[in-house]
Amino acid sequence: MRRRVYESLGVAAVLAVLVLVLQLSAGGQEKSEGGTPAPSGPAPKTALGHPDLQGIWLDEFQTPLERPAQYADREFLTEEERKQQDDDRSGNIGRNRRVERGSQQDVAGAYNAVFTSAKPTGRRTSMVVDPPNGRIPALTPQMQERNRLDREFRLALLQNTDTCKTKAPACNGGTYGPPSPRFAEVPANYNTQRMNRHNGPEDQSLGDRCMLGREPDFNAFRRIVQGPESVAIGIDTGQGQGYQRVVYLTGKHPPSSIRLRHGDSRGRYEGNSLVVETTNFSPKWPFRGAAENLTLVEKFTRIDAKTLEYQVTVTDPTVWTAPWTVRQEMKLQPDDQNRIYYEPRCHEGNYGLAALLIGARLDEKRFKEGRGPNPASQDTATDFGPGAGGPQ
Amino acid sequence: MNVKGSTIVIALVAAAVGALISAAIPRTAGETGGRGRTADGKPNFNGVWQAMNEAHWDLQAHEARPGLVTQPGIYKFDYAKVPAAPVVALGAAAGVPASLGVVTGDGQIPYTPEAAKIRQDNAANWIDRDPELKCYLPGIPRAMYMPYPFAIVQGNDKIHMTYAFSNAGRVIHMNKVEGPPDDTYMGHSVGRWDGDTLVVEVTNFNGKNWFDRAGNFHSESLKLVEQYKPISQDAIQYEATIEDPKTFTRPWTISMPLYRRLEESATVLDYPCIEFSEEFMYGHLRDKPLVTRWEGETMVVEVTRKVPEGDKLHEWYRR
Repeated sequence: MRRRVYESLGVAAVLAVLVLVLQLSAGGQEKSEGGTPAPSGPAPKTALGHPDLQGIWLDEFQTPLERPAQYADREFLTEEERKQQDDDRSGNIGRNRRVERGSQQDVAGAYNAVFTSAKPTGRRTSMVVDPPNGRIPALTPQMQERNRLDREFRLALLQNTDTCKTKAPACNGGTYGPPSPRFAEVPANYNTQRMNRHNGPEDQSLGDRCMLGREPDFNAFRRIVQGPESVAIGIDTGQGQGYQRVVYLTGKHPPSSIRLRHGDSRGRYEGNSLVVETTNFSPKWPFRGAAENLTLVEKFTRIDAKTLEYQVTVTDPTVWTAPWTVRQEMKLQPDDQNRIYYEPRCHEGNYGLAALLIGARLDEKRFKEGRGPNPASQDTATDFGPGAGGPQ
Repeated sequence: MNVKGSTIVIALVAAAVGALISAAIPRTAGETGGRGRTADGKPNFNGVWQAMNEAHWDLQAHEARPGLVTQPGIYKFDYAKVPAAPVVALGAAAGVPASLGVVTGDGQIPYTPEAAKIRQDNAANWIDRDPELKCYLPGIPRAMYMPYPFAIVQGNDKIHMTYAFSNAGRVIHMNKVEGPPDDTYMGHSVGRWDGDTLVVEVTNFNGKNWFDRAGNFHSESLKLVEQYKPISQDAIQYEATIEDPKTFTRPWTISMPLYRRLEESATVLDYPCIEFSEEFMYGHLRDKPLVTRWEGETMVVEVTRKVPEGDKLHEWYRR
């Protein structure tokens, strides 16, 4: 857990800025009634007659990616349901929860509600709008097998820790046992998630390496600047791990041997929308396991002066048995206060990564000299919060 | 609808005015039209651009050097240095090309005496100090002339630049915005048009950037005034006047052309250097270092190199 404290120190400033930004947005924005885009003037056009998509955009509401089963095929919540969810969340002490003091899972005050600001509940029951049940389609058999093997490996690295001894949720599917010989193994696929081993940078999550940002992103602020032959999208996300995209309205995708973190984006205007196809993704930056065969088709539609509808269809036949589509309504954010954090400089201040590698080497040394526990018996990977911990 | 109507009228007038002004931008042969001006009559900088010079090595005039890193040879003369261990295995591919320099006037950078000493130390300790090697955000003006392309997207009230190096970005605000809440690597850029010249003032630097690989540097007091003057539809004369009273005794200026990348599918392909720098930055913290000799935090580079094969002299020598 030492690593979490280091990281907290390293990124606290960035987080503070992000939280401030979110709070300001929530407080300072004109709220549209019920999340329904309030008519606020017609959708503007550029001088070339295209839909004008420029500005800073944010989905101001909280919506789960996948629809909870209780809503079945229902796309929207009632006003009462939204109010209920807001009340539940604002009163949820779990956002400031501590586990047993002094246990490995307890992090002194890190990542409580101060760090995890909550947006008001949106009108949608899920971001996924297709399939109609709002659920991401089933994984292909080969992807299920790949995930199973991946989880098996990560659980093996945890099997000698208290997390498995106490049958904590992060050890679900695993058992308590002696230190695993698999500590010596190189993972079958390029690692992008946390694991209970810190032999070098590649054992860390992409986030810990300041390389988290990738497409598609459903939470970011984004600044769109539109030129006649290309569109720039600056994305502010993930603790200073934002990125820049350029959507070219000309030319074609590079050869398939060229693999890019954010893919290669080519766009065209269709009626009132900008339609962007992105391919050439890199296996080093997968989205839920999809990379080389991933194609995104995004549709940016300016609905009115203050609303941008964003839709993305995710296709990768090697990962999912069918394509699926997310839809979000984004609101225009004030530009003059210059609040968007457009300089992603996580890497420049990444003391956390060096610190956790130093910590791991010191732990090994102490164990070797008989002055400390076996690192294999220590859980330095999982967290206590729901969704935050455990092998991914 | 009135608003919309007047917008159209303004746009039409602007287009007409633009058409008149556009005669001022020299056209190159074979131009198909449309690229020289934007719809609102401004010079059209949209596209992929790149400097084509040696400023990223050293802003000042310099001779070709035998290696990115050199060591004294058998002579004491500077011109007789030889490549040092980190690059000796790369032979003639790892030298530094010569340049007439991009500093205008007398070509000198007017350091204060204290700063001149720091600059010398920087050059002597290039590997340890240059933020480029760590893949830190390159800052302005350095990002403008690194040997990587960058994209300009020219919007209504913002101009966005995306650099291949580290996927760095920059927004030039053509409208009024507040300054950033903190100092920055890439600066806070506010632009305006002065005729056909885009003038950008850049402030709010954190002072952690360098200008080049020769150790030229600035402090957080840096203020830049950049000028982008169209030479043709495919070339921009880029000038940056550098003011930093903590480091320099007077303002000074660099000037160079930027060229449009004319390939049909010109694209800024990212140079994702964060991961490229990990071995350099964290290699000594691995459980089993990949570089064979780390002495504490010092990488001792041992170069294994075979004598070049395939030439008769070496074949004879081997017998």
